[in-house]
Amino acid sequence: MANDFSDKHHVGSLYEVGVERLALVGKHAKALMQGYLQGEVEQEALSEQAARKLIAARVLYQPDDSLGYKLRQPVTQLIAAMVTDENRRQINADVADKLTQIKARVESFREAQRGGDYVKAELQLQLIHETVHDLTGQFEEAIHSLWHRLNSNFGFVSSLADKIRENSRAQGQIQRLIAGLALVDFNELIEFAEGHAGLRKLLVTKLQVQLNGHHGSLLEVQKRLVELMGRFREQQARSLLVMNMASFLRQHPNFMVGDYSYRSQVPRLVNQAPAMPIAAAVSLDQRAQQPLVVSLVQQLYKELQLKASVQQATSNSEQVSVQQKDQEVEARQQQLKQDTEHFFLAALDSPTPCSALDYLVEQQLEWPPEAWLFQVIGEYNSLPRAQQQLFRFQREEAKAHVFNELMIIHDITLAYVAEPARQRSA
Amino acid sequence: MIQFRPLLETLLAGQFICPVSAPEHYKKLQDIAIREAIDDYLQPLNRRVASSDDESVYFLAYRDIDNNERDLLKQQLSVVMSSLLPLLEWLTYVQEVQGSDGALSAGDTLKLQELILKTEDNPSLRQRLQALATDKFFNSQADSVDAQARQIAKRLVEHGYLLQPHKERLYFQVTGKIDYLIELVRFIKDEENIPLSEEQVQEDLF
Repeated sequence: MANDFSDKHHVGSLYEVGVERLALVGKHAKALMQGYLQGEVEQEALSEQAARKLIAARVLYQPDDSLGYKLRQPVTQLIAAMVTDENRRQINADVADKLTQIKARVESFREAQRGGDYVKAELQLQLIHETVHDLTGQFEEAIHSLWHRLNSNFGFVSSLADKIRENSRAQGQIQRLIAGLALVDFNELIEFAEGHAGLRKLLVTKLQVQLNGHHGSLLEVQKRLVELMGRFREQQARSLLVMNMASFLRQHPNFMVGDYSYRSQVPRLVNQAPAMPIAAAVSLDQRAQQPLVVSLVQQLYKELQLKASVQQATSNSEQVSVQQKDQEVEARQQQLKQDTEHFFLAALDSPTPCSALDYLVEQQLEWPPEAWLFQVIGEYNSLPRAQQQLFRFQREEAKAHVFNELMIIHDITLAYVAEPARQRSA
Repeated sequence: MIQFRPLLETLLAGQFICPVSAPEHYKKLQDIAIREAIDDYLQPLNRRVASSDDESVYFLAYRDIDNNERDLLKQQLSVVMSSLLPLLEWLTYVQEVQGSDGALSAGDTLKLQELILKTEDNPSLRQRLQALATDKFFNSQADSVDAQARQIAKRLVEHGYLLQPHKERLYFQVTGKIDYLIELVRFIKDEENIPLSEEQVQEDLF
């Protein structure tokens, strides 16, 4: 196998094929992602040629002619890792195979060195680097996935029962990962690296630091997972307790609890003392407090008297005040109408268009501008049509907002038109 | 003792003190020295500060228990027992409306408007709320979902299970008294050997 890789030409073509196939994946990203999410890529989503290329690249396969295409497992795994999809992401805890690979490559490296084939030795060294990197990367990936699941509270599954299942699956993974770490025998690795500083650094010093770190992280995640599991179970137990007790009480409407309070040792939870009223009254026996009492009584009297008189007054005057109020309102409305009419007359006399708001200010009228404009519009609309034509009625309005088509009237101008007929024909 | 007057008044009024209902009082009660001082002060009233198992709520208990106290405690327990089913039913109702896995616990927030909207859209939830609202404990005569839900919330606030931080806003916080209630339920289940299966029972509600 090692000989294949030492062929420079082969490496070159590997490069080209790899680039071509990665580009192929990119080109069909949408169809592939749809396949990832729906379980298969529909036949119509890809041209026959594209499908053939993707199958040749071992990206897709077609289990049955009549069915759509499916993503091969490594592709699914790549996507799951890239989008941290914990539902699909898998953890690879296989350490033994990596260790065997390292051993084989170290042997191959030594052989090449002995034979004086430095190019091959260099290539093998590079491969050893990569394998070690894969080994530690595998743990990094697993730890990342575990933390992600932990921190999201297993949010990728919805029910508590599923969360509990996912949590115990994660705990199983951690156990396998820790068991995998234990397979790494540093004595053996020291032997491999015998007499080569670069190898020693790679296989012993660096790897040990990294794996120690991973071991620590795994233990931490494990601790947190166990804690979280405890919380999940407590939540589950609590909700079951509530539900089951409710259904028990429904089925046993005459259920009575024991006489807990008559036990020699009253249970802690049952011993809850009832409320004790906290009341106080004025004391008449202490001379020093008498002035205070007197003033309190006086004040109370005043309040009672006032209340009584107010009550009487309101009951008598209620009828009257309602009528009075009605009259007041009516008078104001009349006044507003009159003022508006005056404005129309002023517009008739004026040679230039008259602004309603300017008039309001000039005449020092007390109406709120909004009410005033409203009345002017009303007055105009209530004029007979012939009279309306005597005026050019113009609203100054603007949109309420760039995105709001509501028109807000800021002012109204009225102008007298001497010859309405001509204007109409124009 | 004067600095503890509000705390003492709250306790003597029979209220439960938890981090939600009265965070400052709760913090004081966590100090064992303060608790002992209050215990000494309350001694002539035959009361002492008690707590739930996990010290998530504090309340007053009798110091010495005689026949009179036993009678009062029995009365008190029978009041709690008569409200137990509606309270538990309410908890399961809320859990179902919210579609959550766990029953409410202290510190959770409850948006009444959300509950109302979801209930209005679902005939089975409406029926459950209706049955709950007409229970003696909640005692609502209203017909609308809105009014029923409000009445239930009001009663739960009165009984100290919920807290309404703003009078005019319909959002509530669950207090530690709910946890006390659940603890009591667990205690009763164990004491009475009620055979509650560990698995979820089939709900045969109506």
